[in-house]
Amino acid sequence: MKGMTMRRSVGVAAASAAALLVAGCGGGGPQSGGDSKLTGDKIVLGVLNDQSGAYSELSGRNSVKAVEMAIADFKAKHGDDAVTKDISVETADHQNKPDVANSKAQEMVDRKGVDAILDVPTSSAALKVADVAKEKKKLYFNIGAATTDLTGKSCNKYTFHYAYDTYMLAHGTGTVTTEQVGKNWYILYPNYAFGQDMEKSFTAAIGAAGGQVVGKDGAPFPNTSGDYSSFLLKAPTLNPKPQVLGTMQAGAELVNVVKQYNEFKLREKGVGLAVGLMFITDIHSLTPAALAGTTYTDAWYWNFDKQNREWADRFQSETGTRPSFAHAANYSAAMQYLEAVQAAGTDDADAVVKELEGKEINDLFLRNGKIRAEDHRVVHDAYLAQVKPQAEVKEPWDYVKILKTIPAAEAFRAPSADCKL
Amino acid sequence: MSGFLQNTFNGLVGGAFYALLALGLAVIFGMLRVVNFAHGAFYMLGAFGAYVLLAEAGVPFWAALVIMPLALGLLGMALERAVIHRLTRLDPLYNFLLTFGLTLILQDLVKSRYGVQSSPYATPAELSGTVDFGLFDFPTYRVFILGFTVLLCAAVWWVLGRTRIGMVVRAATERPELTRAFGIDVGRWVTPVFGFGIALAGLAGVLAAPMRAVNPLMGADLIIVVFAVVVIGGLGSIFGSVAAGFGIGLIQAWGEAYLSDYPLVSQTVVFVVMAAVLLWRPAGLFGREEAPA
Amino acid sequence: MSERTERSEGREAMPGRLGVTSTVDTSPVKKAAPRSGLLAVARAPGWVRYALLAAGLLAALWLPNGLYPAVAVDILCWALFAVSVDLLLGFTGLMSFGHAAFWGTSAYVTGLVAIHAGLPFPAAVLVGALAAALLALPIGYLAVKRTGIYFAMVTLAFAQLVYYVANEWRSVTQGENGLQGVPRAFFGADLTDDYYFYYAILPIVLLGLLAAWRIVHSPFGRVLVGIRDNPARARALGYPVHRYKLTAFVLSGFLAGLGGGLFAVGHRFVSLDVLHWTTSGKAVIVVVLGGIGTLWGGVLGAALVVRLEDWLSFSGFEAIGLVTGGIFVLVVLLFRRGVWGTVAHLARRRGAARRE
Repeated sequence: MKGMTMRRSVGVAAASAAALLVAGCGGGGPQSGGDSKLTGDKIVLGVLNDQSGAYSELSGRNSVKAVEMAIADFKAKHGDDAVTKDISVETADHQNKPDVANSKAQEMVDRKGVDAILDVPTSSAALKVADVAKEKKKLYFNIGAATTDLTGKSCNKYTFHYAYDTYMLAHGTGTVTTEQVGKNWYILYPNYAFGQDMEKSFTAAIGAAGGQVVGKDGAPFPNTSGDYSSFLLKAPTLNPKPQVLGTMQAGAELVNVVKQYNEFKLREKGVGLAVGLMFITDIHSLTPAALAGTTYTDAWYWNFDKQNREWADRFQSETGTRPSFAHAANYSAAMQYLEAVQAAGTDDADAVVKELEGKEINDLFLRNGKIRAEDHRVVHDAYLAQVKPQAEVKEPWDYVKILKTIPAAEAFRAPSADCKL
Repeated sequence: MSGFLQNTFNGLVGGAFYALLALGLAVIFGMLRVVNFAHGAFYMLGAFGAYVLLAEAGVPFWAALVIMPLALGLLGMALERAVIHRLTRLDPLYNFLLTFGLTLILQDLVKSRYGVQSSPYATPAELSGTVDFGLFDFPTYRVFILGFTVLLCAAVWWVLGRTRIGMVVRAATERPELTRAFGIDVGRWVTPVFGFGIALAGLAGVLAAPMRAVNPLMGADLIIVVFAVVVIGGLGSIFGSVAAGFGIGLIQAWGEAYLSDYPLVSQTVVFVVMAAVLLWRPAGLFGREEAPA
Repeated sequence: MSERTERSEGREAMPGRLGVTSTVDTSPVKKAAPRSGLLAVARAPGWVRYALLAAGLLAALWLPNGLYPAVAVDILCWALFAVSVDLLLGFTGLMSFGHAAFWGTSAYVTGLVAIHAGLPFPAAVLVGALAAALLALPIGYLAVKRTGIYFAMVTLAFAQLVYYVANEWRSVTQGENGLQGVPRAFFGADLTDDYYFYYAILPIVLLGLLAAWRIVHSPFGRVLVGIRDNPARARALGYPVHRYKLTAFVLSGFLAGLGGGLFAVGHRFVSLDVLHWTTSGKAVIVVVLGGIGTLWGGVLGAALVVRLEDWLSFSGFEAIGLVTGGIFVLVVLLFRRGVWGTVAHLARRRGAARRE
């Protein structure tokens, strides 16, 4: 009998230990609001992004740093007049998985008292978090994702698309490259939603600029073999021969395409390279030598002017690296949110949205910026960038020259009829 | 015609990577009955090692081509002695699971040190041109990979066929029951063979560095395809793994070139072939059916 | 406690097998069948079992109060998934490394049915689970002809096929963007709050777990264990081995589908991740961590893994794979019984020591 008692107690102990383990740091109900107009008399910003996967370097934890910089600047600017002194950042890693993004976004709002969610790369995760924002009535500034659905059929009152989208990338690069480099294009795109969007937008922009797409191919996605040679072999044999290869691959796939583009000597064969989506971190990993002459559209460049440069220096002293446009956009979005709360005097989401809608802004990231009331697209100047030859690179990370500033009014598409806020 | 030849060449180059990885998996499986899930991670370590050697010590590609396989081979041997060995008496699935866990660890170790962004690695200058084959020209580096792999496979073939070590390994791999019945001591070859298999994976990684994105996840999806390749060739069949590697490389390249409107075909062909082979010839195209358990 | 039980418990101290008979296992000696922790509990006196059951039910009822409800919902779904994998791995001796195919297929079918037919969510989940079972039929028919590592490879290959089909079939699955806006319709009840949703799905999950428990305790389940331990003998005794395995495979696919469907409704969307091979791998990790062949171990493993991941993603610690991989390697090397199996084993050993 003794043995059985033991067994039972061990069993119960195991069950309760498991329950405790599972509970972990649970608990903590929603914040109870005091007399203040701010819930909990504080503002909490939530940075939800990829901190361990493919996008962790172009945004990731350094975007948290950028948001912290914004908070410090906001406090310094408003001093004792600030709506609150208690401003903090919560962050979580969504691992590029939409289901994780979903839980984390809800958890941020419910448990961490987050007032606004920032960043969220990967379109599927971004669209999911837009749903969460709408349901929980919390603001959401998407920076990391490209899909125009965020300001199209999936738009909502609380979601703002801040930095870039597929239209901006395609329109800038497609138009200017057609005008300045060559009229005949071959387009290689990863065969999934992002790639197909990009291909359509590019084709439209190239046509409008007087060029033509002489060939296009959807490469398998994901491309486990990492090989693109059949497409790269085909490109120079098309008739008429394309002057530009437009690649819509991103991240590691882009690296594969560019490495093989160089292997097959396409530039020497008279086929230039234009890239749909590229971050400064991509240039860093491919080296400017591998990309010299390549054109792409950038939402912001750290060495563009004095203002950017000064901020980039501060950023570097905080993080040890130069900022990508995503870092600057996170800074800007955090700052504009805080300013809107300051102006509204409350963190009530509807009031803050009202404050933001239609606002015209010039800041570190947004030049000639405007938050469109119709679809919550944040429009701003964009830049057509070209990677410098190695010889012209004067310092680390100074990889591109800006060929043209694309004015905010042209850089983004007109508000979509699909969007009903 | 020249287009077809180029695509065929590319298929063989892609197949060379499969063949090197599959060969390593096959000898390891043959000797230890272990399906090494971590093989893709060692491929990644090979490529990363080449990058780190170049970036931090200025060691060129050619030296890396020797250093990395040796270093990873030793690491593999240590790993075999330290952990794999403990589980070989148990069900083989335990080692499959163990190496799966090791894969997660190795990937994250590299990730936490070097990040996920692909690391730069340029083609060695000597090999960066193109070779003119008359009908078509082809990147020198790819020609080199193909020639190097074929020579290496031939060398392995020779060692296995002509030396005493080779005979023991081959016998243990392809006829395990018989070898043990003859009282041949296989045990002392287990560790070196494991190291050798890992070295091949590392070698494939170094070769991949100039033409593929070098990042911590580069081996993660690849290994699944290589599993399929070894199963098609016959787990533990040395010739089969190499033949299936080149074969699958060719089929994929042709699929991509001529059925590019049907990406599903080139993505799934390897798995369809694998399923078919397993049903039609369960031991693989070149494998020998073992005594049923 | 009879002497017979003592002996079989003694044997269990050497778990040499995954409960898997593989074609590559050349060892001529058939080791004694390890008793599952579950069966050991089943042999315990009634009140011990009821006490454990009551503790488990209480924990389940309390879960969303101590834990973030969305995480609690995930735990329930993964518990079903893990149990479905254990049904094959622990009780039939087949390690599926492609169970994401069933989990994910059901998630998509459930999502599509919920979106387009507007059925209440339990009905949509049922349709999803049936679809998963239907898919399990041909895959299982082909896969059960193989055992051991080959079985793992075949299931992995089929799961990859399903993954790529879903990836390419964008008009239906929405590809990379995922199937957004899966409703939680339930006769007009408002289940948007995960806290209430948890209690809405708890009965379904418990039914699923009960079904799994019934299966392994039925005569059918005992034949499965017999096949696992000695297929040749089972065949000699006249059991149609393949058909038994296939039935187990389809049942397992159904249970995985039940979990996957609930997961889709729980997250209100479906992404390709549900079909990725890493999802299959995670399911196996959960089972091994909880304890192979223990059934409830899978539930415990699900709770631990889901909770751990949730904690890690807020911890600021970036190397999630390092932690999960490290724990997993330790379990495989040192605690092959898993958490549940180890605790049950220790409890029994102490019990035995007291009696001596």
